[in-house]
Amino acid sequence: MSGAIEFARASCWYGPVIALNDVSATIGPGVTGLLGPNGAGKSTFLKLAAGQLKPSQGEVTVLGAPAWGAPEVFHRVGLCPEPDAFWDGLSGWQFVTFLLRLSGFDDAEVKRRAEAALAEVDLLAAKDRRIGGYSKGMRQRVKLAQAIAHDPQVLLLDEPLTGMDPVNRHRVVELVKRLGREGRTIVMSSHVLYEVEAMTRNVLLVHQGRILAEGDVREIRDLLDEHPHAASVRARDPRRVARAVLDLPEVVSVEFGEGGESVVVRTTRPDAFYTALTEVAEEAGVHEVFSPDEDLESVFKYLLARRGGAR
Amino acid sequence: MPIYDQRYRRYEARNPLRELRFWPITREALKLVIARRAFLLLLLVAWVPFIARTIQVYVVTRFPEAGRVLPVDGRLFGEFLSGQLGFALLVSVFGGAGLIANDLRTGAILVYLSRPLTRADYILGKLSALLSLNLFVTLAPALMLWIVAVSLAPEQFATLKLLWLPPAIVLHALVIGLAMGLMALAVSSLSKSARVAGLAFAGLFIGLEIARGVLRGMFRTPETGLVSLQGNLHALGNALFGIQHRFFNQPWPLAALALLVMAALSLWVLRARVRAVEVVQ
Amino acid sequence: MSAEAKPLPPPVPFLRAAKAVFDLSLEEMVWSRKSLVMAGLLLLPVGLALLFRVVANLKHAPAGIDLYGLVVAMYYLRNALPLASLFFATALIADEVEGRTITYLLSRPVSRASILCGKFAAYVVTGLTLTLPGIVASFFLLVPIRGFAGLAAFVPDLLRDLGVAALALCAYGALFALLGVLLKRPTIPGLVFLIGWESLANLPGWLPRYTVTAWVRSLVRHRPVDEGLAELFQTTLPTGEAIAVLVAITILGLAGAYGIFSRKQFVLDQ
Repeated sequence: MSGAIEFARASCWYGPVIALNDVSATIGPGVTGLLGPNGAGKSTFLKLAAGQLKPSQGEVTVLGAPAWGAPEVFHRVGLCPEPDAFWDGLSGWQFVTFLLRLSGFDDAEVKRRAEAALAEVDLLAAKDRRIGGYSKGMRQRVKLAQAIAHDPQVLLLDEPLTGMDPVNRHRVVELVKRLGREGRTIVMSSHVLYEVEAMTRNVLLVHQGRILAEGDVREIRDLLDEHPHAASVRARDPRRVARAVLDLPEVVSVEFGEGGESVVVRTTRPDAFYTALTEVAEEAGVHEVFSPDEDLESVFKYLLARRGGAR
Repeated sequence: MPIYDQRYRRYEARNPLRELRFWPITREALKLVIARRAFLLLLLVAWVPFIARTIQVYVVTRFPEAGRVLPVDGRLFGEFLSGQLGFALLVSVFGGAGLIANDLRTGAILVYLSRPLTRADYILGKLSALLSLNLFVTLAPALMLWIVAVSLAPEQFATLKLLWLPPAIVLHALVIGLAMGLMALAVSSLSKSARVAGLAFAGLFIGLEIARGVLRGMFRTPETGLVSLQGNLHALGNALFGIQHRFFNQPWPLAALALLVMAALSLWVLRARVRAVEVVQ
Repeated sequence: MSAEAKPLPPPVPFLRAAKAVFDLSLEEMVWSRKSLVMAGLLLLPVGLALLFRVVANLKHAPAGIDLYGLVVAMYYLRNALPLASLFFATALIADEVEGRTITYLLSRPVSRASILCGKFAAYVVTGLTLTLPGIVASFFLLVPIRGFAGLAAFVPDLLRDLGVAALALCAYGALFALLGVLLKRPTIPGLVFLIGWESLANLPGWLPRYTVTAWVRSLVRHRPVDEGLAELFQTTLPTGEAIAVLVAITILGLAGAYGIFSRKQFVLDQ
């Protein structure tokens, strides 16, 4: 089956800097997470898919048409860009309706679709306020509203959860999951594993302009098994913390810090560990939790090392 | 277990170590501007008139009869500085327009003003940067030209009669630099876009000058020149260097007063606009 | 589901897309701080004319039509309109790039030509809205300084001036729109063009033909006393030729701007 988005040996240079290097990928219906650290090439990947950039080499096609230089493809593509940029003088309503008019809808349809899209992101009540006065989370949501308002078949989301509060984050996650279930092709970039994990199991790992790995997020989890997440907990009673988490099957080691005031827990399921920690936090007097290593970064290092070893 | 004093303690920060608190701002601003190759080219091109004038001085000292066509005396320096006004405008647009506008756009102004710096330090830092650039295209070549003139024709220029020349050059260049710098910074503080600010400053500078032209056509009095920044700078230069000019002939004390009013207005705008926060309505 | 199952509809029709862009751009331009500055510049002669009516001794003043001619030829056509064009037209696309909103425009099913033309139309309308009232007000304030008798005889001049102003806005606008998409920093080259290159209009021979201002000023009847070299060499070019050249500059400028804009990739600062 051909995918809605296809990269065929696509490369992209910004002057002498290579942002995407010989990437081939096929993305089909459902939600795909584009995961990678800052500067990995995620935004360039999305810009190429959204026809904002022309590949320096290779080809990028969306819905069978070249992404660059074929405006008709945007009837079926929605883009939620990463920059926090707007025509600040416009209200949320004016912003969404203007972009719908640009998509070719008549006035009645523009009104209907704008209302529906703003309701989806819970901005109907604030639709007449100037975007310049919106909070960061509201600005993110209005960007999402314009991306989904014309009912696109392909949705490209560049770090869409940045700046959102937990309630709206959950709302947006559910919306994206639902759109994915409806058979749309959705690509969402993020450098936070949990954000991607909340929406999909299908991920593309991008690192230094290349696709480092692709597949099910469980495979990433397997890698995490080999390189567990470490969390350091400072508490009044660290042994109470240790007792609570030792029962978890995913905890692979527990180690007490110097002076016995902290405990370092290594686990392959950070979410389960943090849930258990919340339950004993008050009793054990937990006052500081931090992760001495960035687990995603560790995975990348691991994969890079493995790729280096394979050569 | 030690029990700490819980009473309110006044913040007792040490005075900043550096006396010239504005200097890091100036240094950074200059670094950013000079990093652009096109700007360096502009600075270089601004010295072309110096070369032309040097050739003029050389020719006249070697062939005195050429002095009848291209006279070489104290007025030469006033005319030279007036000619450099165009470069001062370009330098102010290119180098000055973004000085505050970019900080407003990126929010860097908040970073600056959260340091032990006052708004006055911030403005002084930016102004010093722009003043330095302006002096590079006015004062530096004019003084160099004077040195060349003294070296080539000491009997003419190294005399007590022309001892007023270096102070006059310094004074006129400083007035040009300060007036242009303050106005460019004021306009820069009114926009978040360096491009818009640059165009607005050029528009203001040229707009006031064409308003002068129209007013002169209507009223036919020299005082109409007072509305123009360029006109006032020319008039002051003419008075300093003893030049009789057909158009820029408003009384110099009034020109000086008009320049002071323009500087005060610019400072007022800067005071109102340079703030760490902006209220969005 | 196969991705290519349904054929893609064509892009939104040119006029419809251009109209949508025009509406937004007009809203942005008219209510911007930039327009306030330009309104100040373009309506300044009205203030000066009012001042003149109040302060000047009208008995000893020059003829009203001469003063009006000075305002139109020297203020508007030679200086203010080119400056306003530089201000607005270089920003047509640059503002969207700087504000990083270009992404929204380029991710809709519209051609880049419709974006450029919609924006250019908004610039022309804004420019005319700010300029024409200034010229008309200056006419009625300055021409009848010694009474309204004979005013009607000069109305054709006014109409002609309004047409020339519109043509000048289009020609300079297209040229600066081209500069705006061609260069990242068009301000200095634009100023150098206006202050330096356009001065060729005051030189003898064929040189004035290489400027825009010489063609523009050839279309108006007013010949105010100029300064310096302009006083020595004032060239008047044939009217028909002047109109053709200004229209050609507009078309070629816009075509060039489109040619560059349609191929340009915008790498936005993060």
